Amino acid sequence: MSRLDKLLAGWTFRTATPTFEPGEVITAYVSERNGDGLTVRIGDSVIRVEDGGDAAVEDKVRLEVTSFDATNHVGTGDVVELLGPDA
Amino acid sequence: MPEEPDIELSFRGGRLVSALPIALFIAWAIFQSGILGIGDTTGLVAGMLTGLIVGLLFVRGDWKDYADVIFAGMTRRVAATAVVAWLWAGMFAETIQVGGFVDGLVWAATVLNVGPGLFPAVTFLLAALLATGIGTGYGTAIAFTSLVFPAGLLLGANPVLLFGAILSGAVFGDNLAPVSDTTIVSAVTQDADIGGVVASRVKYAVVAAALAIAAYLVAGFGIPGVWGGMPHVDVAGEVSASVSPWGLVHLLDIALVIVLAVRGRHIIEAVSWGLLLAAAFNVALGAANLVDVSAGSMLLFSAPQNGLTQAVEALPLLGAVVETVPAGQVGVGGSVYSGAAGFFPLIVLTLLLVAGAEIMRAGGGFDAIQELVIDRVATTVRRAETTMVVGTALVNATVTINTAAEIAIAPYIATLGKRFNINGYRRANILDANTSALGYIFPWGGGLLAGYGAMQGLVGGEATPWFTAEMLVNPASVFPYVFHGWFLVAVFLFAAWTGYGREYVSDRTSEEVSRV
Repeated sequence: MSRLDKLLAGWTFRTATPTFEPGEVITAYVSERNGDGLTVRIGDSVIRVEDGGDAAVEDKVRLEVTSFDATNHVGTGDVVELLGPDA
Repeated sequence: MPEEPDIELSFRGGRLVSALPIALFIAWAIFQSGILGIGDTTGLVAGMLTGLIVGLLFVRGDWKDYADVIFAGMTRRVAATAVVAWLWAGMFAETIQVGGFVDGLVWAATVLNVGPGLFPAVTFLLAALLATGIGTGYGTAIAFTSLVFPAGLLLGANPVLLFGAILSGAVFGDNLAPVSDTTIVSAVTQDADIGGVVASRVKYAVVAAALAIAAYLVAGFGIPGVWGGMPHVDVAGEVSASVSPWGLVHLLDIALVIVLAVRGRHIIEAVSWGLLLAAAFNVALGAANLVDVSAGSMLLFSAPQNGLTQAVEALPLLGAVVETVPAGQVGVGGSVYSGAAGFFPLIVLTLLLVAGAEIMRAGGGFDAIQELVIDRVATTVRRAETTMVVGTALVNATVTINTAAEIAIAPYIATLGKRFNINGYRRANILDANTSALGYIFPWGGGLLAGYGAMQGLVGGEATPWFTAEMLVNPASVFPYVFHGWFLVAVFLFAAWTGYGREYVSDRTSEEVSRV
């Protein structure tokens, strides 16, 4: 990313409930872990992952979105890659 | 940063009691400076000492652990960094001041027709520029209060407004400068690169600064500068037509400090070079009779009269900084001495305050507050961001050295932000902007007291003989006028609510931290 791009990024009003397309792969932190499943909140949108593997809260994961309901801002996804906690 | 092994403390009455030393200090500060109107930093030292002693009574188990935590806090590097900034900036600013720089500024303002109305706005811009260049808001607050503040009073500008404008400039620089401690801490703790963090915070800083400039213009022309009954009325407007422009050569040593700092030299090195150049200019200006200054203005041993001291006084070179005086006036003086000495109470206070914050950490006070906030308050992204703004503000009220406050709250900002996948840049910006702002707004804040310390140095100073103790601005009266600070906090509250500038982790991944 160039310096100018960095300077110009984010001069917008970003929604509290971002939407995602099925098949989209995103990077995110795990917000909660309950039982085997994970909850990933991006703003107030929620993506649930049924089998979270070894991912813990605050771990960064690569996540493939498998479904997303844009009305209720909830979706499902699978962990593609566990990146782990920040250094 | 060297970390001591973490000691845990247990308090009678629960984890929140670990906040008692700092809570007592704040109550003391509000009582002393807010209610009684006494701006005495050593009085605040007494308050913090009292708080630390009272806190001891509530410790469960070995009191030695409490003592060890105090030591661990006082030896933190962040405290030493602030101490160094104050000592060096204090010596430098006072040395420039005795070199006629205030007169030079008055001359320049007169020639350029900058009247009392415009002066605060111009001061804000110049202070912001200097602070962004050298990366230390504390240093800027000290330099501008020593140099520009007296010039503004002579021109008839409103003293409280002017002090507010100086602090606002310091806020701007602390927030935006790539070499500022607070900028670096915000980037490193939120796993973001410094360049990206600075670039991404322009969108908030510019909005707040534009509003602040407008506010200083409106207030500068709207609020009377100096009116009858004010102690400044006798000096304002009586600018002598013969003020010398020669003090402005000190712009060169200021420029040297900025260039060295921007090139990444340590602040001790950069300011030391500036100080040496300023001293050389002073000796030259004095020798050429252009400014009333000499080596003795910078360092002077006033010794009791006897055979030995009179012999030393007569020596070449060494004799220039020695004079013999009647027994009652014995002492050491000069800008190097008084510039540093003005900050001694604040330095002691800082060390004790960082110790108080360490006790709050070791006793679980910060953790207790965080758990309360995450479970009950921060339930949506808007509320989470608002909590981050308000939480940063509150921690800055307790830990008044803003870099230390930032280090204390940073892990909580990271945890809270990651829960909603708020981008590292955004987290760093919320953290740093509100830290920078509030550190200069609370009347017991380190930045504000640093400026106040410099102002006390003006009383009876060699370059400002007209400045009396009645002209000091009470620290408790300036906070409404730190416009840039207030606007910056307001911009972030607005941004939290509307999503202005918000980015998620999934929108853009911040680059690796390039510098620790």
